Amino acid sequence: MTYLRRLPKFEYLAPRTIAEACDLLAAYHDRAELLAGGTDLLMQMRRRETTPAYLIGLKGVTELSGVRKLDDGNVFIGAMTTLHTILSSPVLRSHYDVLAKAAAGIGGPELRNVATVGGNIAGALPCADLPPALMTLGAKVRLASSSGERILPLEDFFPSFGVTAARPDELLTGIELPSVPLSSGGIYLKFHDRQSMDMTTVGVSAFVTLEQDGGSFRDVKIAVASGAPVPLRLRKAEAVLCGRTFAEEALEEAALAVCEEANPRSSWRATRDYRFALLKNLTKRAIRGARENAASRTGDLS
Amino acid sequence: MKHLMPITLRVNGEIHELLVPPWRTLLEVLREMIGLTGAKRSCQEGQCGACSVLVDGKSVNSCLYLAVEAQDKDICTVEGLMREGVLDQIQKSFVQKGAIQCGFCTPGFVVATTSLLNENPEPSEDEIRHAMVGHLCRCTGYVQIVEAIQDAAGQLKQQRGG
Amino acid sequence: MNSPVRNTFDVVGQPTPKKDGIPKACGQAEYADDLSMPGMLHGKLLRSPHAHARIVRIDTTRAKALPGVRAVITGADFPGVRYGNLPQTRDYLPLALDVVRYIGEEVAAVAAVDEDTAEEALDLIDVEYEPLPAVFDPDEAMKPGAPLVHDKVANNISAKTAFEFGKVDEAFTHADYVREDVYETQPVKQGMLEPHACIGLWDATGKVSLWSCKMSPYVVWRQLAMGLGLELRNVRVVQTVVGGGFSGGKQEAMPMDFCAVMLSKKTGRPVKIVHTMDEVLTIGHMRHPMKIWLRTATDKSGRILAQHCRMVANGGAYSSIGGFSMYLAGAMLNIPYRIPNLRYEAYRVYTNNGFCGALRGHTNTQICFARDCQLELIAVDLGIDPIDIRHRNALQPGDVTANGFRIGTFAFDECIDRVVQLSGWREKRGRLPKYRGIGFGCGSHISGARLMGHSASAAEIRIQEDGTVHLTTGSTDVGQGADTVLSMIAAEVLGVSVDDVRYIRVDSDSTPVDPGTFGSRVTFFTGNAVKRAAEDARRQLAMIAAERLGANPDDLVFRNREIVNRHDDRQRISLKEAVRWGAFQTGRLIISHGTYAAGDEKIDFRTGHGNLSPAYNPSACAVEVEVDPDTGQVKIVGFWGADDSGFPINPMGVKGQVIGATVMSFGHALFETLIRIDGKVMNPSFRDYKMPLMTDIPRLANFRHDNVITFEPEGPFGAKEAGQGAGTGVIAALANAIYDATGVRLNCLPMSPDRILFALRQKEESAGAPSEVAAE
Repeated sequence: MTYLRRLPKFEYLAPRTIAEACDLLAAYHDRAELLAGGTDLLMQMRRRETTPAYLIGLKGVTELSGVRKLDDGNVFIGAMTTLHTILSSPVLRSHYDVLAKAAAGIGGPELRNVATVGGNIAGALPCADLPPALMTLGAKVRLASSSGERILPLEDFFPSFGVTAARPDELLTGIELPSVPLSSGGIYLKFHDRQSMDMTTVGVSAFVTLEQDGGSFRDVKIAVASGAPVPLRLRKAEAVLCGRTFAEEALEEAALAVCEEANPRSSWRATRDYRFALLKNLTKRAIRGARENAASRTGDLS
Repeated sequence: MKHLMPITLRVNGEIHELLVPPWRTLLEVLREMIGLTGAKRSCQEGQCGACSVLVDGKSVNSCLYLAVEAQDKDICTVEGLMREGVLDQIQKSFVQKGAIQCGFCTPGFVVATTSLLNENPEPSEDEIRHAMVGHLCRCTGYVQIVEAIQDAAGQLKQQRGG
Repeated sequence: MNSPVRNTFDVVGQPTPKKDGIPKACGQAEYADDLSMPGMLHGKLLRSPHAHARIVRIDTTRAKALPGVRAVITGADFPGVRYGNLPQTRDYLPLALDVVRYIGEEVAAVAAVDEDTAEEALDLIDVEYEPLPAVFDPDEAMKPGAPLVHDKVANNISAKTAFEFGKVDEAFTHADYVREDVYETQPVKQGMLEPHACIGLWDATGKVSLWSCKMSPYVVWRQLAMGLGLELRNVRVVQTVVGGGFSGGKQEAMPMDFCAVMLSKKTGRPVKIVHTMDEVLTIGHMRHPMKIWLRTATDKSGRILAQHCRMVANGGAYSSIGGFSMYLAGAMLNIPYRIPNLRYEAYRVYTNNGFCGALRGHTNTQICFARDCQLELIAVDLGIDPIDIRHRNALQPGDVTANGFRIGTFAFDECIDRVVQLSGWREKRGRLPKYRGIGFGCGSHISGARLMGHSASAAEIRIQEDGTVHLTTGSTDVGQGADTVLSMIAAEVLGVSVDDVRYIRVDSDSTPVDPGTFGSRVTFFTGNAVKRAAEDARRQLAMIAAERLGANPDDLVFRNREIVNRHDDRQRISLKEAVRWGAFQTGRLIISHGTYAAGDEKIDFRTGHGNLSPAYNPSACAVEVEVDPDTGQVKIVGFWGADDSGFPINPMGVKGQVIGATVMSFGHALFETLIRIDGKVMNPSFRDYKMPLMTDIPRLANFRHDNVITFEPEGPFGAKEAGQGAGTGVIAALANAIYDATGVRLNCLPMSPDRILFALRQKEESAGAPSEVAAE
């Protein structure tokens, strides 16, 4: 066992474009790690959990940063966009506020000024807060390599614990969000002991679209953090609520479905039992909250 | 294979031309090569904020920031806030409002407050608290720190003629 | 010469910013890790991965061969003399010799040209261990046949303390009401932001110097001399600016200090060693986790007739200050309530965990938690108002407790009433919405202790020809404000401003020997020494001024940096002119000293009888909480506290100390615990060892603390301690508030959300009856 050390020795590579970064990845991927914000990776290196010979630093690839509206109405968020940019982006705050708020709840300002959405996703940690929020927004990940580009739905990006579906030579370049329907809204609720800063014990994101009458759910998306070995979309619970009228029994059923589908682990941080209890209660709260947000949305969202 | 990299750091308005190993953090370079020991080595995990410095005006934990990535950025440490021996208002308020006991967290708080008040000159109590969650203090219990930040905001407002 | 009695003071009593605030705000204060010396090397420590093992062999060859490594040492490089905090329990070694007794114990040390190389070298030290059976739980450790942590210490009993006062059995037999509860507390750490750091130098003359962030430099001085086999004259300890202490490793000599100095001997260079924060959170020096059985007998009106307390403390692998810790817990059972009959038994047990010692509040904090939680339940059972039951049992000034504490000033009733008033208790209690509650808690503390061994403080004053007062003591400012308070005392006596006083840090070569900073002793003990030194300086200066002015020295008043004849104010001279005239014209320099020991009474630590402290403080508080029934999370929405700290010499400093102590107790109550599995600390990081943040405290408008001002004749300008007592009632107040909010009673710390949630669930399932989460 090792105590925290100075960073291990490595060579630092600084691409300026996505193409350069992909070329470097192609050449060095078996001996390199991508360095986004660094707040997770540098810690892992300090603990000697990983000791790459090369770090490919992405801070200089400016085309990887930023929030842009695409021609088809979708929104693209570059992988190196910081959490601070996300929580303060007018576009994201007005139309995708579940994401903006999820980002605002991660760590503190010092972390958010440096940590990136790409890092939060590519780290493949089950406790990461953005993947659940993004999944409920229907996000897709864009991957690039020297042989081309591809896009996958975010919920297909986490095949197993600690691993993403990106190939070793692929770079996560960003997230694409579809435009949000009318009468929709979401919320991300996470639990931790203190009022701020803590790792997420359990997090539930819910995004709902209401029927015209406002009383029933046209569509429901639910995803969790720390509810399974990977960030997970909970389709059983979604199915319970889709098309149904909002009512306490429906919530109760959905919460139970969440517990069936989720698979939280017991660790010294929190037991499985406690995480189930939280999942149940937070699911109900999240759906209520999402519904309220959806109901308060008016009119044009372009 | 592993070699030193030449970088130019602009710290508190001064230019430093250095040869650094890529694995040195900004905190280590500030403290050990430039001799600015205001930013502290504490948790080294981004949990306590004692190492905070401003990079392009934003408060970051320098313990988790590579020095080589600070090239071409404007870095401001606590030492850069004083002008020719005169404390700036935030520093004065911290001193006068009892916000300093052991002082180990103080540079981090002062730097973070500088960033906060630049972005939000009249923060509410809640906004202050949320802006400071990245900073631990074990001595003061935070009350006098909040009061110091409020005092600084008030004094600065007056000085602006507000 | 008598000083005229004044009701108003110029300096003491005024809120005064801390004297070293400016360098700290500018990043110029020199903490140990900020120091650098020419040719300095960097050291690192190798730690045991085993909870209990024999060291078979250590081979340092490969480490020594690594380029950049200048020296590698093991336990064999030291004389093999054990040192410690109490003469009867010296069991520390600089580096383990034959046995390691907990995960993290220091086994070897390296000095190299930089930290990176030193770290690499650690991996190259080959240690062959023979793991031994280990024991982690004190109950298990006391059983016959349990692995022995220390050879020849039967049943792993590190310390056993028992005392009895009055007729306990009789009182229980005749009581109207008896109640017994069990409470359990957890291991907590100081959590200061500055990790331990030092620079050691063994120079060519054979003298050892250590620069380090020590709260008790002279304790370190003696321990270094003993462990190194040196005479005291060859050891120098220099205190650097301390970045928080709260007792623990900064109170004594640590392996890093010995190693820095020994590595310096081997290399001929200064050696710096700095702990990483996970090292800090892994090693010993934590608060004793305790299991407390408390049985209390009262009459119908809730008046306490007797208490029987049995306590088992998990002491960890070494003794530290444990013997005293056990005595103190029992002693503190005697205040702030009247306990006419008391029986106390405590066992401190060795286990293969990090060892325990003092931490703000020492063992008083755990006792106050247990006692004030139980008092609340007694009140409920007897149908008595929780405020009334406290008043009914409150100690009064002039009381003498069963164990011989002589209570001087003790405005406990006033503290209680002040909190009731500040908190809006009467309007809130029983009237808050569901899951919102308010709870009360009380505690107390001492103002320094008459210890076995050295208790005395001394101060020296020199007045310079520009009127600057050079004040030297052996006590340390560790952030608590001693530099300012002691300077204020001197300034008040001499009629100058606090900025005219220069207070220097401790250097064993030039400051008077002193026990250091702990047990809330500095304002009281050192403050009295400073006051005496200042009064002596004033006496000397009055004689000189009297000569110069042709006045009677008894008529001279010192104020506004002047010495004036109170009967004829045309006769006046500035203080600095008097000093100059005395020096240049008469060859007299103003050099004075004062000492204070409170040594007039002796404690019998065997029977537990004796007046431990010259003064005692009561404290009271109320906390309002909101509990989230879906998650068990507790939000502290209001806190109101009041303590009797005598006369607050620096109200700004007192406020910082009491709020700091309070917030620390929030953490101990709700979030903090060292999670240990088979002796391994799972959460040695601020990410998982969670201390309160700015968002965890109530909004400022609902976070109030008041001083109930008394004048303690024994204290300097009437002052008593501030900074430990305030935190002692907080944990029980929180427990009682959670109970008020939810009907759930938690007897186990921390009162974490999962425990609360499960207790709530249990309560719902056995509908109606309040549930108790028993000690696990």
